[in-house]
Amino acid sequence: MKDLFTVARFTIKDMIKRKSFIISNLIILLFIVIGFNIPNIINLFTGKNTPEGATSETSNSFETKMLIVDSENIFENTLSNLNEMNLGYNFTVTNENLSFDNIKNKIENKEIDEAIIISNKNNQINIEYIVKNLAMISSVPESLVNTLSKTYSNLQISKLGLTPEQIQSITPNFAIEMKQTEEQEVQGNQFVIMLISLVLFYAIYFCAYQVSSSITTEKTSKIIETLVTSTTPRTIVLGKTIGIGIIGIIQIIAIIATALISNALFLEEGILDEVIDFNNITPFLGIITLVYFIFGYAVYALLYALTGSTVSKPEDVQSANGPVAIIAVIGFYLSYFTMMNPTSNLNLIAAILPISSPFCMPFRVMMGIATPTELIISIAILIITIFVVAKISIKIYSQAILNYGSKISINDALQMYKNKNV
Amino acid sequence: MGLKVENVSKHFGSKLAVDNINFEINEPGVFGLLGTNGAGKSTTIRMILGILKKDSGNITWNGKAVERKNINFGYLPEERGIYPKTKIYEQLLFFAELKGMKKEEASKEIDYWMGRLKVEEYKNMLAEKLSKGNQQKIQFIISILHNPELIILDEPFSGLDPVNTEMLREVILELVEKGKYIVMSSHQMTSIEEFCKDIVIINKGKTVLKGNLQEIKNSYKANRLEIDSEKEISKEIEKLDMKILKQVDRNYEIEIKDEEKVYTLMKNLVNNNIKINKFELKRPSLNDIFIEKVGE
Repeated sequence: MKDLFTVARFTIKDMIKRKSFIISNLIILLFIVIGFNIPNIINLFTGKNTPEGATSETSNSFETKMLIVDSENIFENTLSNLNEMNLGYNFTVTNENLSFDNIKNKIENKEIDEAIIISNKNNQINIEYIVKNLAMISSVPESLVNTLSKTYSNLQISKLGLTPEQIQSITPNFAIEMKQTEEQEVQGNQFVIMLISLVLFYAIYFCAYQVSSSITTEKTSKIIETLVTSTTPRTIVLGKTIGIGIIGIIQIIAIIATALISNALFLEEGILDEVIDFNNITPFLGIITLVYFIFGYAVYALLYALTGSTVSKPEDVQSANGPVAIIAVIGFYLSYFTMMNPTSNLNLIAAILPISSPFCMPFRVMMGIATPTELIISIAILIITIFVVAKISIKIYSQAILNYGSKISINDALQMYKNKNV
Repeated sequence: MGLKVENVSKHFGSKLAVDNINFEINEPGVFGLLGTNGAGKSTTIRMILGILKKDSGNITWNGKAVERKNINFGYLPEERGIYPKTKIYEQLLFFAELKGMKKEEASKEIDYWMGRLKVEEYKNMLAEKLSKGNQQKIQFIISILHNPELIILDEPFSGLDPVNTEMLREVILELVEKGKYIVMSSHQMTSIEEFCKDIVIINKGKTVLKGNLQEIKNSYKANRLEIDSEKEISKEIEKLDMKILKQVDRNYEIEIKDEEKVYTLMKNLVNNNIKINKFELKRPSLNDIFIEKVGE
């Protein structure tokens, strides 16, 4: 046991001191910080700044500054409440008679982003939509046209002497409520689910790959012969797996912490809430995600330990790891595509199969559709798989690691596993 | 007491790599394990160390199976290698801790041995920045750092320059004085002759010769005569139908087939008043014996 921690500690220290490791991780964290600053960077270039003390209710730096020119007062000053409708624009309405050149100047001076000129020609309401470059916009936003249309209709109807209630009954607002016939209620939002699944896949895959890489380095640098006389192959494989797994967890924590700090420092309050429903991210989900990361990583790391031990040259690592990579990708896509129909039997299978459950089960837990029985069965199968894979990997590793000849084939590996004299 | 290898065999598939090998090391000192490339030396060493399982036979240390719990051993493999991207001190400490040493004790020993082998200046350097010879010295330190009872050195002198060879030679003699059991495999017969009391020569997995080195050499009759004279004596030698194997100036190495002719030659030289500086009967060297036993 002491040797296990010695190997794990050495693996951790050896890895985190490497320049390549430090630089690659700093780059990842830097990208996260930059990602959270994208709105600020866009603002820096477009000149949009939130006035000091302004709140999101009165002025939002992401809203497009839209000037509505109603020089003929067709809307009879009824457009003043457009800003309350949350259409994603910061409207300014004017009755001045502004020419195209006047508006062009305003856009170039960044006083406004876009403008609409409303006019009446032969009893037809014309809307002239002016933007800096039409390539940036495909059509006039439908919601804006509908709102103007409805406002104009209400104005004309009100002239017929109808009461506001009568007008409301003619042009009602539809409240839509969605319901499902299945008893099982699905919660959560798709974006976070996909994100967790994707992050788990990459974290598990790349950490596990490091195990293979580390074992191949030991073999190719010929240190392995000294190592296997200093401790057992089992200790080497498990110690390395534990060490790199701990680094993986630290990396994930660093990424999450950087994201949270960046969110607090650089993003306006509430913006992330529009994308992620934080109510779904519970401590239980956190624990389940961590458990599946650890177990999923263990399965793939042990498989990679096996493939890493079968090669003698670094250039053979990719091809040796190919079969494990294919299994991982199949597992991930099985999980990913069945997420579209989370109550299907296929998604349940993906949540139980050990090659896909690490990517799938946290998603089912988040959606609230994983039953305790499913969870127990899934984890039990994953643990059994870890023991079986560990036994096979360590046995093959013990024989393959001192073979400096050509790459070991699958048949050779099977013979090694069958060899009782090990 | 010591290491006992009894009737040990090992197959790799259908190939018999080691065939019923036997030898024993009963007292401290250096034991020579000799053989050509592929003779089965490394396989034998790996079986002694438990890296490879033997197909049959017994390997014991003080009557117990050779396992980490029963014996503290050190090993310098023929395949040289250390972690290229790790600092020297950190990898020495890592191996010392795996051998059960505490950090403080290990640090002290690391400092001692790095100083002893004159590599202390590389303590905090990455291994890849060291020359091959210095990397080899670091690997040698790994094998002896934890004060093992049994040390297995596979080709310890290969790749070392004369200065470092001498340094390593002194350390090995120091280890012998400290009562260590050392198994040395080498192709350098002079090293084996210098250090080893007992040897075993393996060829194609089989033992072809084993025993006390001096006794083995004594069992061979003198087969060469070396003469250093003040005059040219080629004619005297050829008159007796003796073959000159090597001649450097007036130093002759002559093949001996008939011992009588040696005495006749001596008598002739004395009778002719030829001054002789050296007249030595030579037994076969270990190198000669090795070639005779394993040469095709």
